Amino acid sequence: MTRAAAPPRPPEPDGPRQVSKFEFNLLRILRFMVGHFPADQGMQLVRATVTRPECLSAGAVDLVKDTLAKACVLFLVKQGAWRNDKYLREGNPVQGRVWDRVPLDERSLTFSRPVLEFLQWATAEKVNDTKAPWDAAPKGLTPADEFFFWLAFDATRADPDLLNALRRKDAFRTNPLCWVTCPGDMIDGDDATPPDFAPLFEGQRAVILECLQPHLTHRWVRSERMKGQIGDWKRMRQQGRAEFAALQAFLKAAHAAKRTDLARFVLKTNAALFTSELTPVFWTGGLQGSGPPRLADRLDTQRAALAVPRQMEVLEVWQREALNVGYFDEGYQASQMWKADWEAASGTRTAARAHAAVEMLEPLRGPVNSGQSATGGGQQSPEAPADSPG
Amino acid sequence: MSRAYRITVKESDTRHLKAGDEICTQLEILEILPPEDMATLLKEELKKRGFEEQGDGTMLRKDGELTVKVDPCSGEVTVKAETEETVSQEAKREATGFNDVGPSEKSLRDRVKDQLKTDLDKKFEQEQSRLQGKATEQLEKHLSDLQPEISEVVNQVTRDALKQKAQQMGTVKEISEDAESGSLTIKVEV
Repeated sequence: MTRAAAPPRPPEPDGPRQVSKFEFNLLRILRFMVGHFPADQGMQLVRATVTRPECLSAGAVDLVKDTLAKACVLFLVKQGAWRNDKYLREGNPVQGRVWDRVPLDERSLTFSRPVLEFLQWATAEKVNDTKAPWDAAPKGLTPADEFFFWLAFDATRADPDLLNALRRKDAFRTNPLCWVTCPGDMIDGDDATPPDFAPLFEGQRAVILECLQPHLTHRWVRSERMKGQIGDWKRMRQQGRAEFAALQAFLKAAHAAKRTDLARFVLKTNAALFTSELTPVFWTGGLQGSGPPRLADRLDTQRAALAVPRQMEVLEVWQREALNVGYFDEGYQASQMWKADWEAASGTRTAARAHAAVEMLEPLRGPVNSGQSATGGGQQSPEAPADSPG
Repeated sequence: MSRAYRITVKESDTRHLKAGDEICTQLEILEILPPEDMATLLKEELKKRGFEEQGDGTMLRKDGELTVKVDPCSGEVTVKAETEETVSQEAKREATGFNDVGPSEKSLRDRVKDQLKTDLDKKFEQEQSRLQGKATEQLEKHLSDLQPEISEVVNQVTRDALKQKAQQMGTVKEISEDAESGSLTIKVEV
């Protein structure tokens, strides 16, 4: 693979640049959103108002560009781009670090106007309490813009007010990266309608997703382990439903795009969870009280809690399909790679354990009173596994 | 001179309350024969156990207030508990008024009536939750009774399917079944 030459670096200024108070705040907010500034101070700045100047100085704009360019690339490199990994390119596996696998022009991040507009808005207004309109049309966003908005959303979502304000905006509401990382935070009620994930498997978005694979695995494993501490039935149901809908849509789009390698994090998350046999108590052990009066609602909540293990059913279908691809068939290389991933994650054992955990919730299955029956509350602990948080 | 008076208002209401609960799950039918043959076997087995075929091809059995519905094609089982009751509730409130100060008798009466309406709604809500609890309890009890039967149905269908499959493979020489262990041995001459 040929590498394009790196673009020329702009000349460095003689000394520190002079910026106004507004610009100073804007730069600190930007640094907070890309993870280079303390979260508590960053949150305070986002929640504060500052009078907005008519325009930004050239020096401040340069600093914004510089921060975006360096911080976003650094984030991607740290999260997984540095790894000597194997991903599909035009149906064939290609090994190497991201800069070895992907030509420079395909991985150059281009940020557009909505990013700067958002930063100005977030600096000038109280994001959680403002009537000043700001939003960005999702169709006009570049892959780098979407990536930045995801970073911004991820940085601010710990604050419920900010989360509530931002998730209503199209720039975040329809951002596939937000949905694939924290679907539970993207919804208000029970209705979970994920966006179209198809664009995520094309061009630069797919490259970003490749870089984020280890990060996604880590996040999902952590999220699954924390489910055992959720006490509220309604919250569990909403989060689980959103996760199920998002992952189903994601896997469907990955399969349609023939990029099953980009769903590796789903397989690895399950493999990390099912290193031993688990019962549903691992997920539902923290639920308080006996739950909703209707058995249907209790069962629905418990099923929703196991949204991630339930995805193994789809991955098993992929594995069966991969096994049937012959040497002269189209997609042979891709299927070989999937089988290698499946093998590395002990897919068959993981799928069997995931299936067993999901089955334990189902009524009318197996011997009477085995496992955790759906008829009981979240407190039941039939045979607590070693790694059960409950 | 100010004179006090007491108003007593009684309200009663009768409502028809309904409550229901249901679970839906999937039978684990092994694909020993083609799906349509497995569905036929399941249908036959369910018929023996009192299920009736409906217009849409599903099998239905009513056990009192409970309904068990099985879709032989997809293996989907729905168990539904429904209960209804006609409930009468009565509420009574008293209020004191004065003929010279405060609200007039009419407005006092209206206010008490509004309060009584709220009281009645609360009482009906309590009745509704009681009825809901009853339906859920019935469903839970029925599920534990139904589970062994459903397991038997699945086992029987699997056994029948295996026998048919064996016949398709060759001449069946011997079939031995052990009811205790649930094992089935079929010797086939191919």
